[in-house]
Amino acid sequence: MVTVEQCRRVLGPGVEFVCEQFHAPEGAQMALWGPSGCGKSTLLNLISGLLRPEAGHITVDGTDIASLSEGQLDRFRGERYGFIFQTFNLLGPFTALQNVMLGMRFSDTLPSSQWKERATALLERVGLAHRLHSKPASLSVGERQRVAIARALANNQKIVAADEPTGSLDPRSSAAVMDVLLTLCQEEGVTLLMVTHEQELAKRLDDQFDCSELIKEANV
Amino acid sequence: MSLWRMAWQYMWDRRLTTILTVLSVALGVALITSVLTLRDETEKRFVEEGQLYDLVVGAAGSPLQLVLSSVYFMDTPTGNISHEEYEQVRDHEAVNQAFPIGLGDTYQGYRIVGTTRELFDFFPEHVREEPLFSIGEGRYFEEDFEAVIGSMVARRTGLEIGDTFVGTHGFMEMPEHLAHVHDDHPYEVVGILEATDSPNDRAIYTTLESVWIVHDHDHGHDHGHGHDHDHEDDHNHDHNDGHDHDHVQADPAGDAADLMADEVTSVLVSLHTPADRFSLRSEFNDTLHAMAAIPVMEIWDLYENLLGTIQGVLLAIGYLVVIIAALSILIGLYLSILQRKRDLAIMRALGAAAPEIVGSVLIEAFLVTVLGIVSGWIIGNIVTWFIGLQLTWSYGLVIEAWGLPSAEILTSFAAVAVVGILAGLVPAWQAYQTDVARDLAEL
Repeated sequence: MVTVEQCRRVLGPGVEFVCEQFHAPEGAQMALWGPSGCGKSTLLNLISGLLRPEAGHITVDGTDIASLSEGQLDRFRGERYGFIFQTFNLLGPFTALQNVMLGMRFSDTLPSSQWKERATALLERVGLAHRLHSKPASLSVGERQRVAIARALANNQKIVAADEPTGSLDPRSSAAVMDVLLTLCQEEGVTLLMVTHEQELAKRLDDQFDCSELIKEANV
Repeated sequence: MSLWRMAWQYMWDRRLTTILTVLSVALGVALITSVLTLRDETEKRFVEEGQLYDLVVGAAGSPLQLVLSSVYFMDTPTGNISHEEYEQVRDHEAVNQAFPIGLGDTYQGYRIVGTTRELFDFFPEHVREEPLFSIGEGRYFEEDFEAVIGSMVARRTGLEIGDTFVGTHGFMEMPEHLAHVHDDHPYEVVGILEATDSPNDRAIYTTLESVWIVHDHDHGHDHGHGHDHDHEDDHNHDHNDGHDHDHVQADPAGDAADLMADEVTSVLVSLHTPADRFSLRSEFNDTLHAMAAIPVMEIWDLYENLLGTIQGVLLAIGYLVVIIAALSILIGLYLSILQRKRDLAIMRALGAAAPEIVGSVLIEAFLVTVLGIVSGWIIGNIVTWFIGLQLTWSYGLVIEAWGLPSAEILTSFAAVAVVGILAGLVPAWQAYQTDVARDLAEL
């Protein structure tokens, strides 16, 4: 499903990101684990097309995303990936329902007639049936992250890229959000790549990829 | 959710900023709307009123002054001409109708216009759909010292049918102790004209003879109401004030108010064929001891030469305000983009492509500009309406606001729209250039 080979990117003077080999099969739930600053978020951003490698290949669902133009990559990202961020990254002016529908707005995966029905169903599944028309500012942090999970799955994406999804949550909310995330990804058959620095959290996923040696001194 | 809906929700989400930006556009548009509408409307009124009469014949001097004083009752007359010259004009074969006008006095600033009864039947159908004169209350004058007053005069002075008043010598409102009041010759109001949105609304009409009597009396002649004028005899006569008037020569402008018996201030002329006015103007100027002027041409020149400059300055200010408004859109949108960098990065992460990101920002610029134009048009018309009320009250000049925008106004609106959208291009491009990973990572 996702393969990274000989991928390099300069992060700063004398600092380089290098990933020789990475593979995540379809439907996997894999934690990208390591201490802060080890390059795990960079790996996730490269896999999800938010960053471009300076060398190497990243193949997702049979497509070498490094070869895609900017426009093609935008579209590819919209159709294949769902994102969950530590700080939720919901759009303030829009309701929970609208935020989830926004996930479908920029791809042609689902016809617009199905957007509302699909978004409502997902929000019900994450336990927010009563908060459909609430704006992010009026939601608790746990509820916001649930909206983000629903949005990440709204477009029938094949991969969910989650970057420290419980980083801003208290332990109780964190456990609840993780339950929802893992269950939904399993039910939807989605590949979950989750960045975390918490080993215990990483262990809740089927696979763990150790990112502790991804940052190297650049060869001058 | 469409990009339009998204843009609208972002605007609504920061509505104070949006309203201020819209207002800044609206101010420029309002200024442009007001200036252009006022110009168009006043020009329309003046030109329409300038077309009521094909020619005006009066004493030599400034043609514009002659037109303004005789047609619009606004300026001091250029002087007076003899009754004989009026008759020559009246009897010319190309002349359809000729109405003598005698000016000299005012009442509370409104001109007392001596003329003949025939003027009230004059209906220039090629210019107006409604009659130029229509009696609202009472009747037209039949005897000397009977007055028919314009609707604005009635409204502003409170004069009613049966009331009497006396005229004040001259054309300026003077302090009471300086004013020369003809209190021995009171006028009686016998009729009030319907409002016609023309200079007639601000005039007081009476017989030409009434004006003669008032002024002859001042100069020591004792005319009774049932006087009989011998025009042949009046061409050279001595007055008690010790100077001679040669009525063959036009009086100088300084004596314009000293209308003598057998004089008229001017003649309003309607021709059988309006196209003859140029040749007839030359003919009258060559053969009479008087000056002929074409009202519509004089008014047109006034607009081109004098008011054109003022309008130019006001329009320049209007466009300057619009440019400032465009900068305001640019700054407003740019700041909004800075605030929304993360949101735009999220949209990029969700798959939004360049046209969608650029489009959403441009739509916002477009909406702000359109709202500014619409609000500006409304504000501009409100301002025009208020100024129109003032002009109607003060000068009887009717300005119509809320009309369909002229082609020039629409063009200026289009220019504003283009400027507004151009102002959105920089932030739109900036929005697409966002570094998604960095913007998403920034707290």
